[in-house]
Amino acid sequence: MKLRRLQVEQLRQFRQPFVLDDLQPGLNLIHGPNESGKSTLVRAIRAVFFERYRTSSVDDLRPWGDSAAAPTITLDFETQQKNWHLVKSFLQRKRCDLKIDSDSYSEDEAEEKLAELLGFQFSAKGVSKPEHWGVPGLLWVEQGTGQNIEQAVEHAGDHLKSALNSLVGEVASTGGDELVEQVKTRWSELFTPTGKPRGDYQKLEKEREVYQQEIDELRARVQKYQEQVDRLGKLTQDYERTQHERPWEEAERQLEQAKERYHQVEKLEQQQTQEKEILNHLQSRHQLLRQNQEQLESLNRKLDVRKAELDKAQRELDQAEARSPSITNSVQEAKAAYDVATRQVHQARLHETRARLERESHRLEQQNQTLTRNLEKSRQYQKELEQAREQARQNQIDAQAVKALKETEHQLKEETIRSQTIATRLTWQLEPNASLALNDEPLEGQGEKQLLEETSLVVPGVGTLGITPGGEDLASTRRKLSTLEQSLGQQMKTLGVDSAQQAEHRLTACDAAERTLQHTRELLKSVAPVGMEQLLADQKETQSQLQNAKTELQNSPAPEADQQGQAIDVASAEAGRTNAETRLAEAETEERKHQTELLTRRQARDNARTEWQQLQDEVQNPERLKQLKSLSTELAEIEKKRRRLEASLQAREQEIKQAHPAILKQDIERYQRSISNLRQTQEERQRELRDIQVRLEAWGAEGLEEQLNDKVADLEQCNRRYQELDRRARALDLLLTLLAEKRQALTRRLQAPLQKHLDHYLSLLFPQATLEVDEHLRPGTFTRGTELGQIAELSFGAREQMGLISRLAYADLLREAGRPTLVILDDTLVHSDTDRLEDMKRILFDAANRHQILLFTCHPEKWSDLGVVPRDILAMKERGSANLV
Amino acid sequence: MPKFLHTADWQMGRAFSRFETEDGAALVEARFEAIEKLARLANGHQCDAVLVAGDVFDAQTVSDRTIRRVFNATRAFTGPWVMLPGNHDAALAESVWTRAKRLGAVPDNVHLALEPGVINLKAQGLAILCAPLTQRNTYSDLTEAFTTFDIPEGLARVGLAHGSVQGLLPDEIDSANPILPNRAEIARLDYLALGDWHGMKQIDERTWYSGTPEPERFRNNEAGYALMVNIPGQGQTPDVTTVETARYRWHQWRETLTVESDLDQLLDRLQALPEPSVIDLRLEGSVTLAGEEKLINALSVAEARFRSIQCDRSGLQLEPTDDDIAALRADGYVGEVIEHLRARQQDDDAEAARDALAILAGLLKDRKQEVSE
Repeated sequence: MKLRRLQVEQLRQFRQPFVLDDLQPGLNLIHGPNESGKSTLVRAIRAVFFERYRTSSVDDLRPWGDSAAAPTITLDFETQQKNWHLVKSFLQRKRCDLKIDSDSYSEDEAEEKLAELLGFQFSAKGVSKPEHWGVPGLLWVEQGTGQNIEQAVEHAGDHLKSALNSLVGEVASTGGDELVEQVKTRWSELFTPTGKPRGDYQKLEKEREVYQQEIDELRARVQKYQEQVDRLGKLTQDYERTQHERPWEEAERQLEQAKERYHQVEKLEQQQTQEKEILNHLQSRHQLLRQNQEQLESLNRKLDVRKAELDKAQRELDQAEARSPSITNSVQEAKAAYDVATRQVHQARLHETRARLERESHRLEQQNQTLTRNLEKSRQYQKELEQAREQARQNQIDAQAVKALKETEHQLKEETIRSQTIATRLTWQLEPNASLALNDEPLEGQGEKQLLEETSLVVPGVGTLGITPGGEDLASTRRKLSTLEQSLGQQMKTLGVDSAQQAEHRLTACDAAERTLQHTRELLKSVAPVGMEQLLADQKETQSQLQNAKTELQNSPAPEADQQGQAIDVASAEAGRTNAETRLAEAETEERKHQTELLTRRQARDNARTEWQQLQDEVQNPERLKQLKSLSTELAEIEKKRRRLEASLQAREQEIKQAHPAILKQDIERYQRSISNLRQTQEERQRELRDIQVRLEAWGAEGLEEQLNDKVADLEQCNRRYQELDRRARALDLLLTLLAEKRQALTRRLQAPLQKHLDHYLSLLFPQATLEVDEHLRPGTFTRGTELGQIAELSFGAREQMGLISRLAYADLLREAGRPTLVILDDTLVHSDTDRLEDMKRILFDAANRHQILLFTCHPEKWSDLGVVPRDILAMKERGSANLV
Repeated sequence: MPKFLHTADWQMGRAFSRFETEDGAALVEARFEAIEKLARLANGHQCDAVLVAGDVFDAQTVSDRTIRRVFNATRAFTGPWVMLPGNHDAALAESVWTRAKRLGAVPDNVHLALEPGVINLKAQGLAILCAPLTQRNTYSDLTEAFTTFDIPEGLARVGLAHGSVQGLLPDEIDSANPILPNRAEIARLDYLALGDWHGMKQIDERTWYSGTPEPERFRNNEAGYALMVNIPGQGQTPDVTTVETARYRWHQWRETLTVESDLDQLLDRLQALPEPSVIDLRLEGSVTLAGEEKLINALSVAEARFRSIQCDRSGLQLEPTDDDIAALRADGYVGEVIEHLRARQQDDDAEAARDALAILAGLLKDRKQEVSE
């Protein structure tokens, strides 16, 4: 479909006719600032198609304030290889004329042609609304609605689908979706959304179980009932048979017999017991007699025994008496030995005392000598000590003073030497017999003199010479010398010596005396450590002790002279005595023992003799012989009786044994128990019979089997209803599944061509992106890389771009199906950035190869590179009015 | 010339679980009515006695009400009734009979043959030789004792027993409680009244099964009758007449529909049945959508008309004709679904496919009607 020319007149701001002609088959860019009439032109195109010519609801088309206006739109276009000329006037002159090539149509007929051509509906009343717009609603994008595509697709749905159908050659089921809904509703009555049974379907399933359970219970009870009936039958039979047979009576008879037999055996046992007692009696009597007999016979034996005993006692006595002399002898010997030993001990003691006293006096004597010697020595030392002390006193001198003296002497010497060196030396060598006097002191021969003081030398014959030594020091030296000489004289006087050598000598003598004193003191100390007095006392003491010892020795008796002449020491003498004492005691004990033995044996011998005598008398008694004879007779009689009894007992014992009394007793017990058991069993039977009867009557009254039948019927009812529902459920399930499958398959087939066109544009805009078409042919899931989402989640700009490419895809689809297409874009893509807009331009240019596109904009600069000449509305207006003028 | 009514297998207390509750109740009720009808017949034909050859009760433990109602139903006939315990109501130590006695439900004119022996009905000229079951099942012939039973002079010798005559009944019948085929002859019986086989059946000229008086199963075996027995004289062949007692007749049809006329024929036959019928249909083959609709309509009408009609159509395929499909205006994928379901009826899950197809057709048809409205 190609628009070629649009003319508007008396329409909004176009009060005068305005012509938009020379429209190109592809892209047409029409621009103008706001209010220039851009949107009015778009509105005019919509109105000429959508609005009914006779409607009064299009007041918006009227120029402002001009109530007499008849808005008129003239449109020339080409489609289906025909030229269409459409003129529509509204309001004041309601008219519609359509010329297709040479055919003319008008009014409603004309409008229907248009609707059919483009695929839209007219509004029944009032202005046309989006839901009427159909395909144009999708392809003609109003300002600011480019992104809202879903509604538009829905409104165009049927047209799109029919276009698709014609393409794919399929028929989308008429009202198929509605049918699916109906099936779904019916399905939902039986299933929950997750496919579980619900409502009656579910309830019946449960009821079946309940019924089945009840039936099982009832069956079990019926079974129990029947078992009880059987038991009752059996019991009744048993009871009656037993009642008839009375088996306990037979047992009672047997019991009587057993009792009788047992009674007999008891009698026998009694007799047996009696006879046994008699036998016992006989036996004890027999024993007694035997004892008597034996006793009598035993006396002779006893007599012999007693004789032997007597002999033995006599023998033993004799033996003891024979031992007496030797024993007495040994006692005497022991006594003598003891006396000797005692004497020896006494001698040994005396010896010992004397020896001790002698040793003591000897020691004391020696001690006395030592003391005397020491005393002499100490006296001598004492004397030496006195001498040394005297020597020391004589040479007493102060060692310090001596030292000072020596010092002074030394200084004097040194000063003298110095004075000589500085002194004026006067040497002379005189002719023999010549003399000189110096200071009145004659000088002869040769010599030398040091002169320290003024000296006068008289030379005989000549006169006197005065010599005064020079030098300062000479005077001080002379003074010092004088002082020193004075001090030395003083010191020697004090010390009482004539010279220093003498002082020295005295000091040495004093020291020697001191040392001798010290030494002598030590020696004295060694012999009399505590002094002489003590030494004297000790000596006196020792001498007194010595005196005592000697006195004692003289007083002590002298021991007897020994045979052997040797002294026996006390210890061995005492040991000998102890030995002798022991032996004596032993001998005495032995003697006492022997005496006792003698007495005992004599006593024993006397007793034995008496006893033997008594028995001897008794044995000889004649009464005893008579007794013995009578006993023998009686014994023989008893023995005979005993044998008889034993034979009878044995016979009876056998009899009793054969009768088995224990078994008989058991028999009695057995029969008694049997009777009791039999009777009891029968009673129990009777009792159980009554119980079962009562129970069965109760159960019978419940009509169990009838109840069971009823329940079975209920279950079958339930089952039938369930089966019906189940069948329906399975059928609905199958139907729904199939419908969904087939519908989906169809949708997929239908979507394919649209998807193809969509992919074409999308690849230009977003390489690697996919946009899926949903079952309603709407763009649905969008993926780009890892992004996944719905169109609605994208940014406004992206949504607008998606909207546009989708619309172009629809346009392609429609074109492919041979439908007319016209794309009108009113200031679209205003939200796109430069890059995206660039892509969109390529897309638009591409689409323009297949469709006529009218692009209205107030931003012509944005579209300058679209490759078409922009057309300015204002300029056209100018030109129009110029033309008119 | 004694004359009596021979019946058996009342099976009182049985429930009919395969039917809807209401129908089951009606069928139970019909069995009580059958007893009343027997009593009326006995009166009407001036019978001397009514002999019931076992299985009066379906179970030992039926409700007290059932017991009382059974005996109440006999009230119209005041002559002697002789009731024999069968395998369902054997004379056990405790049985439905002992309970009936305890309840005081048994009228004086009803004789219960709880022990083997002879019940002499001198006034009626009948000696009834009874072989009751005293166990649930026996494997010896209880009628053997008949040979040894002596009866007073001048009475008709009539045996009453419950069990299967050996070698004559179909194999499926339980071989328990056997009866010698020529028992009547051996035991010198004038007539042997038998129960256990639910259809009326003659064994020999003196031996008959009366069958149950009111049918209770679909197997077509001549149920729903009683026998009127007339013994002209000792040793003479009895005169046996069949008397209809059934209220409901039971029909079980297995039909295969192939061409359209098959359905029409079936519906005609159905139409011809009397109202008190119990019908069990099982259809196989295939039917068109139109046929299905017709069938459903007819069944709906039949449900109202008959006591009970059950129709199993799981084996019947739905084969929509092209016209059918065109009429449904099922285009697009719905059309595909229909095709798929048609094909799938050949598979294992044929039933579900068939049902699904029926549901879909129904929905489409409804829609068509809506549209046309």
